[in-house]
Amino acid sequence: MPGFSFCNMTVPVPLKILLIDMDPNRGRALEEKLSESGYAEILRAPDNLELAETVDRTRPDLIIIDMALPDRDALEDIRAVSAAHPIVMFAGGDDPAFAEEAIAAGVCSYNLSGVALQHVKPIMASAIALFRRFRRVEEELTAARTMLEERRLIERAKAILMQGRKMAEPEAYRWLQKKAMNENRKLAQVVQEFIERHDADADPVTRAGRKQP
Amino acid sequence: MSGVVSFAARKGNRPRMRIGLLRLTDGAPVIVAHEFGFFADEGIEAELVVEPSWANIADKLAFGFLDAAVIVPPLAFAVELGLRGTAQPLIIPYAISAGGNTVTLSRSLAQETHERANREGVSIVEALAACLRGRSVTFGVVHAYSTHNLLLRYWLATAGFEAGRDFKLAVVPPARAVEALVAGQIAGFCAGAPWGDVARRAGVGATVATSHDIWRNAPEKALAVRTHWADEQPEALAGAIRAMLRAARFCDNPENGTYTAALLSRRKYLDVDPHAILASLPGAAAPETGCIFFRGAATFPWRSHGLWFLSEMRRWALVDASIDLRALAERVYRPDLYRSAIAHLGEPAPLADWKLEGAHDAPWTLEAAPTSIDMAADSFCDGAVFDPEATADASASAKDVLHNL
Repeated sequence: MPGFSFCNMTVPVPLKILLIDMDPNRGRALEEKLSESGYAEILRAPDNLELAETVDRTRPDLIIIDMALPDRDALEDIRAVSAAHPIVMFAGGDDPAFAEEAIAAGVCSYNLSGVALQHVKPIMASAIALFRRFRRVEEELTAARTMLEERRLIERAKAILMQGRKMAEPEAYRWLQKKAMNENRKLAQVVQEFIERHDADADPVTRAGRKQP
Repeated sequence: MSGVVSFAARKGNRPRMRIGLLRLTDGAPVIVAHEFGFFADEGIEAELVVEPSWANIADKLAFGFLDAAVIVPPLAFAVELGLRGTAQPLIIPYAISAGGNTVTLSRSLAQETHERANREGVSIVEALAACLRGRSVTFGVVHAYSTHNLLLRYWLATAGFEAGRDFKLAVVPPARAVEALVAGQIAGFCAGAPWGDVARRAGVGATVATSHDIWRNAPEKALAVRTHWADEQPEALAGAIRAMLRAARFCDNPENGTYTAALLSRRKYLDVDPHAILASLPGAAAPETGCIFFRGAATFPWRSHGLWFLSEMRRWALVDASIDLRALAERVYRPDLYRSAIAHLGEPAPLADWKLEGAHDAPWTLEAAPTSIDMAADSFCDGAVFDPEATADASASAKDVLHNL
């Protein structure tokens, strides 16, 4: 393969990158993104215990790994592929801010062949951007789920009040709001507790059953 | 109304302490101190961060994402020296636990070892070494810079069985140790509680030795704090030490074992069977095998413990032989901060910073103020006595040798 240009630097051969990410969508997206750039040959690590063997067999220049996996400790001890320890995320490099961005995004890299930092950086920048995007989507999803659940609980609490205390709907809502305000707590908390108490009073057997792990 | 404002202001000014920990039984005092509001009582806003790997703990300390961590002391030295990544100055002003590790083997190897020990009347480690001689086996440890690596190497070396020459070591995260045993990738592993008992409950492993069989009351986890954080908020650090001590007393009480196990088993902490956790807590069926959090000055950061770890790291070439290990142990281990933090509590603190390690094979009494402390045995399996003074001389003479070359 001929040399090509990136960031005014000539990379003689594509870097071999071992990608360890058990999130299939994110892993595939990163693989595609890096493959398109042409300066990288991407290998995906299988989800098993053969990590050290995989590294030994494939001899990557760079490992990119999801920090949520426990396997980083094993990677740090792999000496078979490099003379010394694999280099963790720009250790000794002069750009701590970049490493901080990676940690915040939840992705980490190991440099095994001593490839120059300027070649690693754009690759890690892509990984950071992708991890960040996936994390944002996940957070939004969680927030949306929480909101839906809160709304469901409020409806339920209102129904209980309307049935049990013969309140009208706006009145029931105001009653819950006032209770939250008086107790200086969030509406969602107050509502959840209210429903739990109601269920407990209504059916102690169900409650005991639910308390089982 | 003004009360509300000043409360909010107070809350806003509360120093934040982000503490990293792994899914291990010896995280108990930190978890209890947090859940019971002991940190809050000291005016500290603690945030616990459960990490999946030691590497994450090290990196997050190095880059300031964590202020402190429940750590294996050899890793604290590695971060301090920049041996595995970016360096960050750390101090250890508080020790968290003693004991709690297990050497857990595949069931067939454990059985073979026990049978041989009984038949030939030899110790477990001698029987194990005899069983494995000539075989190519791998043992798992949790990290290169871990107490587990040093203790397992020490133990096997007493039977003339050395890493590299006689067996291989691989790093296996404890959460993966069960599958590694099943797959036959490792013959056994040394890891912190509750993972030995998790392997036993899964029917794949059997524990043949614990920390206590290698070094009785061996120091285990410590609280490592970023030096910069500690320098900026000495009051908060002192408060954190007091909060931890309070929690340690709770965790060490056998009556609280089931409660602590239930708390730790929550999904956001260890997320494993509470019975497996209970087995390694004070109050378990076999108290000799579990973690110790308070008694016997378990919370005191002995400089001689630090120097023992460093000496073993040098023995196995995990640290540069030319480093002044005694000075390093003095810089990182800070019993002075421990003493000043608890000064007004009336809790006894040892008078000395160093002691002979391994000199007692029976209970003994330690000089401390305001009252002495009852100590348990601290002997090594091979009867060795570690004299910190002699070690300092040895490293000095090693340096002289280097200068003469």
